[in-house]
Amino acid sequence: MPSSNPKNRVVAQHGDMALAERCRAGAPGAFDELYRTHAPRLFGLACRLVGRPEADDLLQEIFLSAHRKLDQYRGDSALGTWLFRLATNLCVDHLRSRGTKWARLTDALVDDPVGLAPATGSVIGAVDRLDLERALTGLPDGCRTVFVLHDVEGFEHHEIGMLLGIADGTSKSQLHKARLRLREVLSTGRRAGS
Amino acid sequence: MTTCENIQPRLGDLVDGTLDALDRDGVEAHVRGCDRCAGLVRDFERLRQAARGLGPINPPPHVWLEIAGQLRQATAPRPAAATPNARVAATWQWAGLAAALVIVTTGAYVFLRLERSAPPKAPTAAADSATGSVQVFADELTEAMTHYEKAIAELEVITKTNNGSLDPALAAALQKNLLVIDDAIAESRTAFTRDPTSVPARDSLLEALQRKVSVLQETVALMNEIRKGDQAGAAQAAAGLQKKS
Repeated sequence: MPSSNPKNRVVAQHGDMALAERCRAGAPGAFDELYRTHAPRLFGLACRLVGRPEADDLLQEIFLSAHRKLDQYRGDSALGTWLFRLATNLCVDHLRSRGTKWARLTDALVDDPVGLAPATGSVIGAVDRLDLERALTGLPDGCRTVFVLHDVEGFEHHEIGMLLGIADGTSKSQLHKARLRLREVLSTGRRAGS
Repeated sequence: MTTCENIQPRLGDLVDGTLDALDRDGVEAHVRGCDRCAGLVRDFERLRQAARGLGPINPPPHVWLEIAGQLRQATAPRPAAATPNARVAATWQWAGLAAALVIVTTGAYVFLRLERSAPPKAPTAAADSATGSVQVFADELTEAMTHYEKAIAELEVITKTNNGSLDPALAAALQKNLLVIDDAIAESRTAFTRDPTSVPARDSLLEALQRKVSVLQETVALMNEIRKGDQAGAAQAAAGLQKKS
């Protein structure tokens, strides 16, 4: 996870424990507060990992699951981190449940070497946020997931490896592949021609 | 010898700052003399920067309404198994049931018409700014609401005057679930009033209305089975009602 100021994090965790306690006790407005605080980030994650049409249902599942599992939150990490891990696991489970595509994509790297980049210099200019969001939807599940976790959310490869159950090297390869594909899709020449 | 083939897989590490000093020097030396790899590094940096700028996305309001509704239901006491009283209702009560069914059916028709005529999920700015169509949509919502309120009033009269026909626990659970749905309708109506151009607010209002129609239709079906004295049918209708609510 991207590290923030540790001092602030400790303070945040005191608040997190208090909020978790209030949620567990069913205090009015507590779970609402938890949702308002964390839903936008988790919804962003769900939209990028599983796609917008399925993200609504998945976000519901994430928070209902969090409600059931709040007893397991011990304050060892920020509540946001705990929720984020829960959300990532549910998103990955969801991707796996789509069929064999996930396994095929994460297993096929050895047989699917990444080719050399074209013999040109830089091919993309400033990247528009909406263009990038759109381009992400065209990536295969495996490399999109790694790109989102690494480049958008700031995870390290060893953390991604643990979250997804893949080797660090696989995470690196997937990231490289994702960047190359995004570069191709977002290249100024290609966009001008589309 | 450093070639593009063995350098390029490490360019990501260079951009991410995860190469050790020795490797970094070697890769940087290659990149300084290679337009192709230098271009790749610049593009990876741009992508990385853009990716870091992808922020949170606000979920549509109906997601919270659904979660809140499910949490309320999860913490509410479960209705007891239906043990419908097969007592035959008075003739005027039959008439009341029929009237309620007509009102609910009309409400459902208005709802379906509304749903079909609802703006697309991602309307254009031009469509959203069309005040006239927003007004028409709001009028149709109001029309639908009127039907639902009539149906509710009618059903309340029937339930109160025929309080032996529904199992008390089921009636209480039904009432509680209707209140949950009413909360959802009120919350989404507030969101819709605040922003009549909000498609998520409209969608969540429509969803809440649809759920209420569904529950009312099942209630009418259950009362009808009880009126006929069909215990199996009543149990089936009660199960349907539990599912819908």
